[in-house]
Amino acid sequence: MSDILLEFKNIAKYFPGVRALEDVSFTLRKGEVITLAGENGAGKSTLLGILGGSLAPNRGTITVEGVVRSEYSPRTALAEGIRIARQEPAIVPQLTVEQNLLLGKTAAERREAAPAVDGALADVAAMGFPLNRRTKLARLSPAQRHALTIARAFAYRPKIVALDEPTTSMLEHNVAAVLNRVREMAAERGVGIIYVSHRMPEVMTVSDHVVVLRDGRVAYETPIAETSTEEIVRRMVGRELLGFHRQHPVKPDAPIVFTATGITRPGSDERVDIAVRAGEVVGIAGLVGSGRTEFLRAIVRADPGCGGTITIGGETAHVHNPNGSRNAGIAFIPEDRKHQGLALQMPAYANIALTAAPDLVGPGPFISINRQVAVSSELATSLALKPANVKLRARQYSGGNQQKVVIAKWLRRDSRVFLFDEPTKGVDVGGKAEIYGLIDQLAAQGNAVVVVSSDLPEIISLSDRALVMRNGHFISEHVGDDINEHSLVASAMGIAKEAS
Amino acid sequence: MSNQAVDRPPRKVHINFQTLGIFAAAAVIFVVFGVLNSNFLTLNNLRDVAVSACVNALIGVGMTFVIITGGIDLSVGSTASLVGIVSADLMVKHGLSPILGLLTGLVVGFLAGAFNGLLITFAKLPPFIATLGTMSVYQGLAYVVTNGTPVYNVPQNFVLMLNSYIGGVPIAVVIVLVVAVLAWVLLRRTVFGQNVIATGGSEETAWLSGVRVNRVKILVYGISGTLAALGGLVVVARISAAQSEAGSPYLLTAIASAVIGGANLSGGEGRIAGTLVGALILGALTNGLVLLNVASFYEQIVTGLVVLIAVAIDQGSKGWPMLNGARRGRKKKDTPADDATLVGAQTTGE
Repeated sequence: MSDILLEFKNIAKYFPGVRALEDVSFTLRKGEVITLAGENGAGKSTLLGILGGSLAPNRGTITVEGVVRSEYSPRTALAEGIRIARQEPAIVPQLTVEQNLLLGKTAAERREAAPAVDGALADVAAMGFPLNRRTKLARLSPAQRHALTIARAFAYRPKIVALDEPTTSMLEHNVAAVLNRVREMAAERGVGIIYVSHRMPEVMTVSDHVVVLRDGRVAYETPIAETSTEEIVRRMVGRELLGFHRQHPVKPDAPIVFTATGITRPGSDERVDIAVRAGEVVGIAGLVGSGRTEFLRAIVRADPGCGGTITIGGETAHVHNPNGSRNAGIAFIPEDRKHQGLALQMPAYANIALTAAPDLVGPGPFISINRQVAVSSELATSLALKPANVKLRARQYSGGNQQKVVIAKWLRRDSRVFLFDEPTKGVDVGGKAEIYGLIDQLAAQGNAVVVVSSDLPEIISLSDRALVMRNGHFISEHVGDDINEHSLVASAMGIAKEAS
Repeated sequence: MSNQAVDRPPRKVHINFQTLGIFAAAAVIFVVFGVLNSNFLTLNNLRDVAVSACVNALIGVGMTFVIITGGIDLSVGSTASLVGIVSADLMVKHGLSPILGLLTGLVVGFLAGAFNGLLITFAKLPPFIATLGTMSVYQGLAYVVTNGTPVYNVPQNFVLMLNSYIGGVPIAVVIVLVVAVLAWVLLRRTVFGQNVIATGGSEETAWLSGVRVNRVKILVYGISGTLAALGGLVVVARISAAQSEAGSPYLLTAIASAVIGGANLSGGEGRIAGTLVGALILGALTNGLVLLNVASFYEQIVTGLVVLIAVAIDQGSKGWPMLNGARRGRKKKDTPADDATLVGAQTTGE
């Protein structure tokens, strides 16, 4: 058939001791959008690596427009018209928007590239990010960089485009624009698109076809019209996954155990307050850049020049830096676990010991590796850490398990306040459910929990109470049935009521 | 780190090929020189090699701490010179006792290092710039103290303290071994050491975990300064005199010792034992090439090449698990599925 663009045939890829892919076959047609789904570690990134030519398969072939690929290199893939927009954008922060769009072009090619650059800039604007072509990338937010990466993938008349978690850092209306663009490219220009995402609503909207990878094999393949979210998720994890509901909602008479009053940060006049009851989970929603992360960081005094008063259990806590915040009983699980939550080169147990819980350090200035391993192993068991061997380095765990290690750092410290920033970013479905269960348990133990998230379903299923932040302050408070997507989004975008 | 008390039945033997590689390289170098010159592997000569490696080893151990935090200390050579001059001057012209001369020197070294730490933490200067500046400042101070003239006739007891033999074993070698053991304990068996490694791996992570990273860094540079001082004092004892530039040759060789030993300049990794072997390799090269009557100019070339080869092998060994064409050398640390060690544990779940 002539409309077949791309054919994976019996692809297998091994890393020493790891079977990353085995016998993966499927085809992509002109104008078709295929969602590649699967948990972290299922083999999606490896398959994209092979498609992009940066990895060569151990067995199997890739056929592009009827031609079997003979050599695996990024250059070959580019020549075949394949573009990949990666999860972590491949961009040069020191260069401008325009220079990034022209990256890798020769001087001659650059002269002809003007329309492509204009088109890409228009694309980015259509996704809700009007960018100046002379702005340096270092000054853009992660969402803006993602948008640019996507636009760049579409800019030079590609035949096949792979988008790896393109919307992770984006909000609903940007996402909608991205999905529109994807559909448009497929329908109008016949581009074949491979779409990788954990966000099921997107998958259902954008794709014609879904291929589920599990443990490196194709576990499920079907037209999207013939399946459902539940079915796809079930095939990804290989078991039923129910929607998450809090087992232990906050008790109506629970006392306030944590307050942060008049929290300020440099460069802003806003003074922000929050009060959390024992056993309560407060969700904080809001657009990217609304100041949610900065608010949490100001509470633990992660950056210089922050101010405000903090009480825990009715007593004023003297917090001047993260060390004081830690000793006062505040646990902070930051947004970027690889750079803020973990020292990736250290073993899990050493990461867990970093918060210097009494069980894990001593006597005196000394440590006992055996005890650190033993205590960490207990934590690993209670958190169902996989692999359970805490001597592995932090970088050897998948996203969800890395997050468990970050959380474990705070569990032996008598922390009474837990601040989570995007707790399940980049975590697969199974991992999410486990982390939600853990947050529920922490609340059930009488702790005060705050969860910042861009994932609205996450806010909705976790929160006893939800706050929406906009331009650095809370503009609305939602409880009960008022915690719903429509109400939160409307508030975050400043469309509807300006309550409380 | 030993692997005892693991209750998994098929006990996996962890071999660190990186460290092993350094030991193997050292062994090869020793054997080659031994074959080429029958005098090389004699007890006397090996003792000379060990002695000549001492100063590099001492300064290199301090440097290893600094490199593990992701920093660099360019001022160690100047610190060694300054401390040598100051201590010798105090002992010779002001009658300070050798033991006090030694202790004063170590304190001066610590302060010089801690000052680097203050520049790096509170003035937020990059380590390279901060220590580039103090390298010049400390060297200048070393000239100023005695107007650039050497201090001769260092007290005999001071020389005996740092440059004599106990039952045929050079005291400097004993000092290095004691320092190395203490340094290993500090790095691998204390909270401070764990904080040093974490700070080098991800400073932000350490900071948000409540580690007082400024304090960690100031202490680490203080340790580097102290060991540079000790190195400088060993040099003084060895030649019974202090010269204003006696320490400067040791800057690059100390860095080289640490790097040959596996310290990663981007932080988070480094080994005390590796640094000792690195210093020993450099000592053996110098000594062996002299025995072979190779002109001393070539010695520099060989030393430089050894550093380059060591680092290249180190990079290569990190790349071995994914030796498959285009992927080599690409940044891929963060993808768990690619890491060989994960496998055993992962497959057990199936």
